[in-house]
Amino acid sequence: MTLSEPQRPGRFSDGRSAASRKVVVRVLPSGLEIRGEDGFLIAVWKTDDLLADGEWPEKRGIRLRCASEPDARLAVEDAFVIRETLPKPPLRRKSRHTGLVLACLLGAAVLVGLMVGLAPVSKLLAHLVPAGLERQWGQSIATGLEGQMKPCEGRDGLRVLDALAQRLAEPLPADRRGVRVHVLKSKDVNALALPGGEIILFSGLISKAEGPDELAGVLAHELTHIGERHVSAAMIRALGVGLFATMITGDASGLVASGLGAALAGAYTREDESAADMGALDLLEAAGIGSDGLALFFRRLATMEERQGQMLAWLGTHPDSASRAAAVEARRLPAPRLPALSDADWQAVKKVCSKKSP
Amino acid sequence: MSDTTTSQRPLACAGDMGNMFSTSLLNMLLSVLTLSIYRFWGKTNVRRQLWGAVRAWGDPLEYTGTGKELFIGFLIVLFAIYLPLVGGFAWAQVMLVSGNPLGALLLSGLYLLTVMLVSVGLYRARRYQMSRTVWRGIRGGQTGSGWSYALRTLVVWIAVPLSLGWAWPWGEMWLANYRFNNTTFGDRHFKCDATASGLYGRFTLVWFSGLIFVVAAGILAVGAASLVEQGEMDETTAAVAFALVLVPLAVLTMALPSAWYRAGFYRNLAAGTEFEGSRFSVDIRAWGLIGLVAGNMLISLFSLGVLRPMASLRTFRYGCSVIGVEGEPDFAKVLRAEDTGPSTGEGLVAVLDGAGEF
Repeated sequence: MTLSEPQRPGRFSDGRSAASRKVVVRVLPSGLEIRGEDGFLIAVWKTDDLLADGEWPEKRGIRLRCASEPDARLAVEDAFVIRETLPKPPLRRKSRHTGLVLACLLGAAVLVGLMVGLAPVSKLLAHLVPAGLERQWGQSIATGLEGQMKPCEGRDGLRVLDALAQRLAEPLPADRRGVRVHVLKSKDVNALALPGGEIILFSGLISKAEGPDELAGVLAHELTHIGERHVSAAMIRALGVGLFATMITGDASGLVASGLGAALAGAYTREDESAADMGALDLLEAAGIGSDGLALFFRRLATMEERQGQMLAWLGTHPDSASRAAAVEARRLPAPRLPALSDADWQAVKKVCSKKSP
Repeated sequence: MSDTTTSQRPLACAGDMGNMFSTSLLNMLLSVLTLSIYRFWGKTNVRRQLWGAVRAWGDPLEYTGTGKELFIGFLIVLFAIYLPLVGGFAWAQVMLVSGNPLGALLLSGLYLLTVMLVSVGLYRARRYQMSRTVWRGIRGGQTGSGWSYALRTLVVWIAVPLSLGWAWPWGEMWLANYRFNNTTFGDRHFKCDATASGLYGRFTLVWFSGLIFVVAAGILAVGAASLVEQGEMDETTAAVAFALVLVPLAVLTMALPSAWYRAGFYRNLAAGTEFEGSRFSVDIRAWGLIGLVAGNMLISLFSLGVLRPMASLRTFRYGCSVIGVEGEPDFAKVLRAEDTGPSTGEGLVAVLDGAGEF
């Protein structure tokens, strides 16, 4: 035995049982020879098959594996010579990095695609929802709201409001024209368009409105939401974002999905609101009603916002009223118009929530 | 001296917090860049470090799972279970809205199925992790069936409210028994006959202090509300004062007793568990447990979950420092098992739960 064949004590597990036995390891030119303490030959591991398997800190040693015996484990004490003979680990880092870079690029591409495609695709899908289903959905929400809040039942006022909404809805597609107006008791200056064709007006809005044209403007705005199926589109958008977020994060609690949905909702809603303002102008013009009322109404909301120093409910997700007023005024319809409602009708609307009305 | 009845601490955890910190940050960065698809590989990476840090009788544990297995498991469950389930829920909602009485039935059936699937998923995830845990070249494993485990979980969840909580120690121990009796290393089973009989003293304290907390919180809330009503406190001060009193009260009546109970639970469980004639023990004290849990919560909370791997490493370190074993099992008798475990990993949990522990 020469100095070039040093012997090292070590420990060996053969991978067939969980025992660990003391061994003597001899370094040969072709590999390692593993013998029991009794000198009995246990295994010969070729140099090319050797795999580094970490350190053995207690004995300043090294852990080894062998490609031809993948379950066996060897720990060798003070293995200076063996470290030298170990083959260098194969260079597969490069391919891993390409995969990672590709994955990152793909991720970015998917995000961009989602941001660009979400709005048009959800709009397209919203128009595929059967009108009957939308209507049913809207009616069930309206019934729910009427159950929670007190509905106003002034019959004359409601009839006038329905008629005004019908008149404004003339240019909409046939299956969108069956509009019904509900009035609910609430201080909020707010109006809602439900899918299908239900419009909810809060009594606070009616009492704040100073003329029929203002109310007509608000109705026209909500009708545009209905005509362009904004609610269904928003629903599909939220579903899509939620599904996507859940798919990629694996978070099924809905936390990520709803957070992302809420973050995106604001931006898209503002877009929808501006679209509805512009659509309202078209409806008003077709019905022969002036747009000054709508502009006035926004102006009044803007001063109320300033005075109260807080957002009103109807503005929560809306652009700020002053800029909306400016946008409406910029497209001011030229010719002077008749008021949207006769005096008597307007009084009926104003009284829609008073108990005395027949 | 070191006869078979003395308990030793054969486990040591040498994990490095600095490494785990950089791994955590890298994982977060790559997860963001790849729309979180990287998380399967990141999780695998963390587990390799955690497992590799643990040495039992001088030899390290190895984690042999791969990111690809986790990813494929996730995809399978996403398309075969999660998306159909979401579709089912949507369908049930539509039925409910349209007034079909079958909708409620379908919905509750789906809820039950989801709850069961989470239990099945947790059990199968444990099976995957066990089968990817290797020590001295020998694989761990888990027998038993996920559905059988889910049924037992259901029994416990029904029994606990029916018994006003008193079934909890029994139920928890019963489930733990099932898990540990089905845990294997090589071709040998762990044996677990732990009972909840010694736990009811501790649980009584938890139950009554919980009751005290609920009553005290109720009285405080009523008192604060009346103070606000009488105008002696404004709403914010009342809320702050309420929280300031409630938090120490919660620690005193909830956290301390439950930590004491939890420590007792782990002691009982370990004392009832044996492998090849060697019994386990844990030297857990309530304060140590509180320190561990509170520290981990703070780490996860303030890093928004990013540094959760560091919390896991703390748990591993703590576990290694408290687990004792009577004598050394005869590992020469523990042979390699032929079952190689599931080929894909953890999909059900990855999709339905999302918040993997490490």
